[in-house]
Amino acid sequence: MTEQKFDIIIVGGGPGGYVAAIRSAQLGMKVALVESQHLGGICLNWGCIPTKALLRCSEINHLFNHADEFGFKVSGLEFNFKKIIERSRGVAKQLSGGVQHLLKKNKVTVFDGFGKLAGKGKLSVEKDGKKIADLGSPHIILATGARARALPELEPDGKLIWSYKEAMTPEALPKSLLVVGSGAIGIEFASFYRNMGAEVTVIEVLDRILPVEDEDISVFARKQFEKQGMKIITSAKVTKLDKGKDNVTAHIEAGGKTEKASFDRVIMAVGIVGNTEDIGLEKTKVKVDRGHIVTNEWSQTDEPGVFAIGDVTGPPWLAHKASHEGVICVERIKGLNDVHPLDVTNIPGCTYCMPQVASVGLTEKAAKKKGHKVKVGKFPFMANGKAIAMGEPEGLVKTIFDAKTGELLGAHMIGAEVTELIQGYVIAKTLETTEAELVHTVFPHPTLSEMMHESVLDAYGKVIHF
Amino acid sequence: MTQTAENRILASPLAKRLAAEQSVDLSSIKGSGPHGRIVKADLAKSPSAPRVTHTPASLPAGEDVVKIPNNNIKKIVAQRLQESKQTVPHFYLTIECRIDALLGARKAINDAANGAYKISVNDFIIKACANALMAYPKANVSWTDEAILQYAHADISVAVSTENGLITPIVRQAENKGMRQISDEVKDLAGRAREGKLMPEEFQGGTFTVSNLGMYGIKEFGAIINPPQACILAVGAGEQKPFVEDGEVKIGTFMTCTLSVDHRAVDGAIGAEYLQVLKQYLENPVSMLV
Repeated sequence: MTEQKFDIIIVGGGPGGYVAAIRSAQLGMKVALVESQHLGGICLNWGCIPTKALLRCSEINHLFNHADEFGFKVSGLEFNFKKIIERSRGVAKQLSGGVQHLLKKNKVTVFDGFGKLAGKGKLSVEKDGKKIADLGSPHIILATGARARALPELEPDGKLIWSYKEAMTPEALPKSLLVVGSGAIGIEFASFYRNMGAEVTVIEVLDRILPVEDEDISVFARKQFEKQGMKIITSAKVTKLDKGKDNVTAHIEAGGKTEKASFDRVIMAVGIVGNTEDIGLEKTKVKVDRGHIVTNEWSQTDEPGVFAIGDVTGPPWLAHKASHEGVICVERIKGLNDVHPLDVTNIPGCTYCMPQVASVGLTEKAAKKKGHKVKVGKFPFMANGKAIAMGEPEGLVKTIFDAKTGELLGAHMIGAEVTELIQGYVIAKTLETTEAELVHTVFPHPTLSEMMHESVLDAYGKVIHF
Repeated sequence: MTQTAENRILASPLAKRLAAEQSVDLSSIKGSGPHGRIVKADLAKSPSAPRVTHTPASLPAGEDVVKIPNNNIKKIVAQRLQESKQTVPHFYLTIECRIDALLGARKAINDAANGAYKISVNDFIIKACANALMAYPKANVSWTDEAILQYAHADISVAVSTENGLITPIVRQAENKGMRQISDEVKDLAGRAREGKLMPEEFQGGTFTVSNLGMYGIKEFGAIINPPQACILAVGAGEQKPFVEDGEVKIGTFMTCTLSVDHRAVDGAIGAEYLQVLKQYLENPVSMLV
């Protein structure tokens, strides 16, 4: 087989890989993209996007169920669960087609197969066990992504015990559901199923849900979820799952006692591991640490000419991090000036539960641990006109500043639409604004964003509306 | 006063605030952010000393590149040289000295020693620099914002190249030492420098530096000042060439010396006058006995 030469080869067509491919093409490079399943990766096909379609439906259901608060009388409310799932799949399909179009438009050569490193600057592509192409390039970017972590004894079977894939394509709404793990993925599914009417129990091994978020946000979220009827057990562990005919009995260990409880279905959401297997890393100097490829700030691995971006390189497992790393990586390869490594403290994280959670930068605890003396501001949704008018008075905006320099260290929000609001703070943080610029920024009235202003004012003892 | 677009300093609000707190002049810092914008990291690297961050234009990939790790000496020297070249306003004065008399005196001394010791040309230069500094102390100085510090002794740092990097051991009070003592000390210091066995006080301090590349046939060069010193003398190779004296063409041995000078502490005329005194000692080494 003759080797096909490229300036750059990208393995994996998720938000890291396809964005890197398009940017490479824009920079005049001849690009190959190798993808074995779906263009758009997990994010677009089995993650961010289809779950947002589902969560939109659960929001609508929630709104209908609270219609009387707004003066509406809704009777005979029904939903077609199959159609809700179909809509979600349709959204994913539409966007995956969009990625295909973008790659074609940018003249990226897409190989439909599984890429494997095959010696220095070489990659072989296999499809159904047969080699379909030999590729060569001085630069190979691994963007193979990650998958759900499986715990021994608790492996998903796809029928009664689900991973994220089955959890977003069920045949019917389960009556009762156990969600193991309260990170972003677990909580989004818990929120979706609860607001669709299922009885939901969440088990978290740590002492609070959404453990990467600021503690105040975790506490606030828990209260809201419990008010919605979700059952939450923290500092608890599922030790065993006994599968019945159409249900699962979980052994739940908490406070030194083990109790059994039965559920229709179980969702396992206990973390993520990188896809580092079978891609030919063994014969390279590429280092893998705890399931993730080790890279430096320019996404270089220890093997010259081999790069890695996105989820396969470890947390934060976020599509926007992968895309950004991809762009930086190829711009650096191209030798552009003015290329800067990604500052992880400026990467926002969003969880689309109800109420939504969004944050950027350090938590209060992390900031103090790093030795910062902090000024903290808080502002509740219930003191904001727009939030009350919208009927969304549950939420909180928290900001953390370095007391000495006024540097914005972190911002943490919970409440309606905060996933859309957070980027105001992200821009501020990326531009290295201090409290002074934020204090002098005019926020439009009436908006939810006014709370972002008030939270900053509160940190400096100048809050007006609370 | 209005600032024009060209001289506007691009800096983040946080960087501006930190610079004000640390009394750092933003115009002396090269930003590493987008379009050269000064960001927090540029100040955090060194709160008081302005620095340049360097991003290589393109990424070396492949096996053609070998990584040679930098040891601490290399890192410190690199940092100090960079700081010096960027923050000390250097200027350079070059003078040519005829060293036939010096070579003659050296031969006479070494012949008389009968192998007991061997004085080098560089030993003469160290002694001459020290005596010239005593005769003309305005060049034996350091710059500080409050005052120019003038030193009572000539502590001459001698640049020694070692496998681990550049190091400058010091001949203290060289003006009070004889040629033989200077020679012995330099040999001892240079030897121990190459073995990495110098004590910190043996290479920290010094009021004036001599760097000699004459043995490599380098004709002349300009050295980077060794702060907080104000002057460094770069010595080239002695070479024979024709010159005119009393209307006759003669052959003489000439050596080029270039003095790098911190203009804040030493003005052009002062540097030039120092070089005149030095030249006189080098061309007529017997005068050092006076």
